[in-house]
Amino acid sequence: MPTVEFQGKSFSIDEDGFIDNYEDGKCDEWVQYVKKEEGIDELTDEHTKVIDILREYYEKNGIAPMVRVLSKLTGFKLKHIYELFPSGPGKGACKMAGLPKPTGCV
Amino acid sequence: MAFISSGYDPENPMKDRITDIGPRNYEEFYPPVIKENKGKWLYHEIIEPGVLVHVSESGDEVYTVRVGGCRLMSVSHIREVCEIAEKHCGGYVRWTTRNNIEFMVDSKEKVQPLKDDLLSRKQPGGGFKFPIGGTGAGITNIIHTQGWIHCHTPATDASGPVKAVMDDLFEDFGRMRLPAQLRISLACCLNMCGAVHCSDIAILGYHRKPPMLDHEYLDKMCEIPLAIAACPTAAIKPAKVEVDGATLKSVAVNNERCMFCGNCYTMCPSMPLSDKEGDGIVLMAGGKVSNRISNPKFSKVVVGFLPNETPRWPSTVKAIRQMVEAYTADANKYERLGEWAERIGWERFFEKCELEFTHHLIDDFRDPAYFTWRQTTNFKF
Repeated sequence: MPTVEFQGKSFSIDEDGFIDNYEDGKCDEWVQYVKKEEGIDELTDEHTKVIDILREYYEKNGIAPMVRVLSKLTGFKLKHIYELFPSGPGKGACKMAGLPKPTGCV
Repeated sequence: MAFISSGYDPENPMKDRITDIGPRNYEEFYPPVIKENKGKWLYHEIIEPGVLVHVSESGDEVYTVRVGGCRLMSVSHIREVCEIAEKHCGGYVRWTTRNNIEFMVDSKEKVQPLKDDLLSRKQPGGGFKFPIGGTGAGITNIIHTQGWIHCHTPATDASGPVKAVMDDLFEDFGRMRLPAQLRISLACCLNMCGAVHCSDIAILGYHRKPPMLDHEYLDKMCEIPLAIAACPTAAIKPAKVEVDGATLKSVAVNNERCMFCGNCYTMCPSMPLSDKEGDGIVLMAGGKVSNRISNPKFSKVVVGFLPNETPRWPSTVKAIRQMVEAYTADANKYERLGEWAERIGWERFFEKCELEFTHHLIDDFRDPAYFTWRQTTNFKF
């Protein structure tokens, strides 16, 4: 597994840039690192809201929320989530929140 | 090679970004004769195996030469297809839903030179690059999947067995001697990408061992509830495990309930189950999608297990040959393999194809299994 250094912290990631361990990703440095990788200019409150809700849902339920659940919880339409995270809720938001990589026939 | 930019600016990923434009409109690529006669075709004929003619109200004719395609193709091969299309067909060509290639010309005189050209082209190893056929009551291309070329859940290869089976049945690609067309498909795991569940003969990759559990990484890599919900027989439950003194969240698999579908591995990378000796092939038969005479049918399992025998899969090839020959010799005209098997009875199907019937073939999945058992005294000794 490759390791990346960012702002004095090191993260163990996979080939798609998802963090290996959820607990290690619960820090601002990880969010800043993914922000750079995902080409997001500025981290707004809306970004933070999506990330917080993803983390809260994952800690409570052990899975990432369905897209409709995420929309309902955040109040953001899918289109707006794509505006916030150009790679989408899976590759963008879940990666930034430190959740495991989405699986299945993706 | 050094990096060459396409003009995309990674600093500004959303700048000049074009999205949601969809595929090109198919009408842009119509040969002129197709464009002019669209919706006006009167009838068609199969002139010879691999060659069709369609006649329009206006009297226009279009001759189609169908050739086999290996589906997994290099750019040089596609360029060669384009070169042929350029030379004979005004630059137009199409691919069929079974990944054959069709070259179309607008007069009969152009057919023979096209055929001669196609048949003159061979691979360095001797195989035909563009074998003509795939029409009528014969055996056309095999719908198949990724296998060991690209996928991470296969139980067998795709391109390899397809090549082996088509080599064995090659004569039937170029002739029309069967009672009806015979569709063969392959899927390399029981996700069944493609058409295996509805083909006359289907080749299916199959595991025979439960998944291995990588407890150390399982909770980190996987969303555990998804792995549990992925199991059709509820063999997976959440569990706490001790690894090097630490208590970790993981899952436990009840091996008695596991039927090796591999769904949990699809959802959870820490549950791999591929196995060299365990994995192999299941053969199914009797499916169809058309409504002609009888309704569409699912294919049914007829061979419980055949080993993966790289690179030529001889026992798979042999079992398929047995089915093809028995069907050809015995079925009535227009009768698809599934219709034939249902008419003579599956007990006769196994007898005529000389296939062994094992307990693995008896359905035991939930309530509907009951309806596949025989609830009548009608049977043949």
